[in-house]
Amino acid sequence: MKRAFLAAALLGASFSAHAVAPGGPGCGWGNLIFEGKSGMPVHLLATIVNGTSGNATFGMTSGTNGCDTSGALTYSGESLLSMNGVLEEVAQDMATGQGEALTALSVSMGISTQDRSHFNGLMHDNFAAIFPHQDVSAAEVMQNITAVMQQDQKLAKYV
Amino acid sequence: MRFALLCVVALFCVPAWAGDLDALAEQPRWRALLHINPGATLRDRQRSYVDDDNFFLAERGADDPLAELRATVLALRPDHAPARCRFPARYRFLAEQLNWRDDTPFAHCADYLEWRAAVHAKRAVLVFPASYLNSPSSMFGHTLMRLDQGDDSAVWLSWAINFGAVTTEQDNSLFYIYRGLAGGYPGRFNLVPYVQKIQQYSNMESRDIWEYSLDLNQGEIDWMIDHLWELKDINFDYYFFDENCSFRLLELVQVARPEGGLLDELRFAELPVNTVRALDQEGLITERHYRPSKEQELTAFSDQLSSEERALARGLADDPARSEEPAFQAYPPRRQALMAHTAYRYVRFVNRKAQRSEDVAGRSFALLSLINRLPAVQDPAPVERVPPEQGHGSQMLAVAGGQRGSDDFGEFSYRLTYHDLLDNNRGFLSGAQIQGLGITLRSTESQAVDLEALDVVSIRSLAPRDRFSKPLSWYVEGGLERAWAERRRLVRYVQGGAGASWRLGNLQPYLLASARAENNSDFAPWITTGGGAEAGLLYHAGRWQWQAGGAGHYFVNDVYRYRSTLAVQYALTGQQGLRAEVEREGWRGDGETEFKLQWRWYFD
Repeated sequence: MKRAFLAAALLGASFSAHAVAPGGPGCGWGNLIFEGKSGMPVHLLATIVNGTSGNATFGMTSGTNGCDTSGALTYSGESLLSMNGVLEEVAQDMATGQGEALTALSVSMGISTQDRSHFNGLMHDNFAAIFPHQDVSAAEVMQNITAVMQQDQKLAKYV
Repeated sequence: MRFALLCVVALFCVPAWAGDLDALAEQPRWRALLHINPGATLRDRQRSYVDDDNFFLAERGADDPLAELRATVLALRPDHAPARCRFPARYRFLAEQLNWRDDTPFAHCADYLEWRAAVHAKRAVLVFPASYLNSPSSMFGHTLMRLDQGDDSAVWLSWAINFGAVTTEQDNSLFYIYRGLAGGYPGRFNLVPYVQKIQQYSNMESRDIWEYSLDLNQGEIDWMIDHLWELKDINFDYYFFDENCSFRLLELVQVARPEGGLLDELRFAELPVNTVRALDQEGLITERHYRPSKEQELTAFSDQLSSEERALARGLADDPARSEEPAFQAYPPRRQALMAHTAYRYVRFVNRKAQRSEDVAGRSFALLSLINRLPAVQDPAPVERVPPEQGHGSQMLAVAGGQRGSDDFGEFSYRLTYHDLLDNNRGFLSGAQIQGLGITLRSTESQAVDLEALDVVSIRSLAPRDRFSKPLSWYVEGGLERAWAERRRLVRYVQGGAGASWRLGNLQPYLLASARAENNSDFAPWITTGGGAEAGLLYHAGRWQWQAGGAGHYFVNDVYRYRSTLAVQYALTGQQGLRAEVEREGWRGDGETEFKLQWRWYFD
């Protein structure tokens, strides 16, 4: 149940063409691949004192990261892919067919352990379809992943 | 509820459990839940570290665990008590101890239940990002706690518990930084996705990360998480040296396993590496994992290339279309893949702090597409480093004997912390020096014991440059030392410099421009400034560490002074070293030479 909920939120954009991106429009689904690191916790003072800047973060209850935490919650109130810097790592892992970012994506989509290497291979083989150009956004990538999985016998059940 | 109120008002009313409460208030877990200082640090002994009225239900709760226990019993006992939603770990403690029975004690706590459903863990991991010289609070490294949901390979979905000072935009000032380091500023726990921490440390700050799995069972981990909720938005005092990120994490582990002896010893300073050692000594560490920084990964790739291939990779990074050229195509596909990987990682590394640009995104994308078309290559294993907890102790005592001019001397030194360029660098960041509070006393034939030097702080970062990485080397130091000003005097000084360093096999040359401000009883301006340069060479081989170098300054009062040294240290054991040093101090028209042999012992 939890898994389905998680995956549903992650895949929200793909369920319906009209669907609003989960987490709301400010949540980072507009993030492009190789997005700048402006949202990163690199606030100078925060780094200097090992702390947090601005609103203290305490998991999903902080609710101040541009995401609507009352609705589709996934990971810290943000979807994994829409987090700053993650899309780039996922792209790198898909290009090579392995890596922590790719594993995290498959786990958050509820893909069982025995299907993960197949998932990795499929993502690697379809890299060009999932990342068609350099300005692709997180929401588009999620749609493309779903489309590729729907065409696959083993993985169609997860989407 | 009414019953409880009645008790508070009447004060005569003695509930059945009252007799047990005295003993209960002394229980280690109750004291851990209140963060009572068991004598681990000097401030606030036998008092709570928490500096926040919201954390206590009794008026004198911070000083009086029993009063706080009484107030907590009254507040949590009634069904649907709102305080249960604030203090789930305290409730669990009381329910277990006093046999309270309620199958759904938190049914009315929607926020807590929602949070708890998202924050669950099967494994706790202590995370140690290595030293980061460019931030004062991270010079000695940092520690945080990771909560894993169980799947070994999905640590990107884990949470990170971090303790640090809370900053707000309004406080943007140097004064703030001072307060953050010197204390008096609130520190708080926060909970963030671990992937953000990887991005910050491994990507942005190029720090290696060590991850230590802790031997805590499910029940113990749950204690920690439940208690974490009680610490939401709660202020602690934050002190850089002892009550810092590392110390607070030990307190969390203490909540999980209160019978342990983690906080038994009094400590003057809590270095992150000592936290790792403390957990190790308690037998709490089961497994260690090394996560190289992005920069290390780039180095590991480029190390696999020949110098021609490196040049091609560097060219590819500027223009991925060169992959079509014969010079690149002449290589077998596997070599092409290694070059493409190197080029891609280089582009991402160089632009890691830059805003997105079409040019960089275009090149990155083209290189990824190239990697995708070429055969898969294994990520080269980065050089496995010696873990920080296996390095030498952070404090040091030394005795030395030698001769200066024609005067024999004996010397005694103590250094509070931590490492200099000649100390055994196993487990330490290579080319990095951090020294704080070092004192040297010297006695000569002609003079009784006198202060020779007092190092307040000395930080050096000599980071080698290569084709793919161009870091700045720099240093800053200050304190009291002996130097020539008409005669040998104790001078007060601050100096710093910046420049570059390179690596040629085991040799590491460096060259720095430097400036110095000095106060002594001879120089005419009260603070005399000078400019100069420093150059040197480090050589490392097995247990031997060599340094040859010289530094000179020319001061505004037309005084000129230089110092050249040749030094070598041999690591006798992990905790002992023998150092020999020849130094020539010179000034206009004259100079003095010193020989010294020193035995150094590291501990703690």
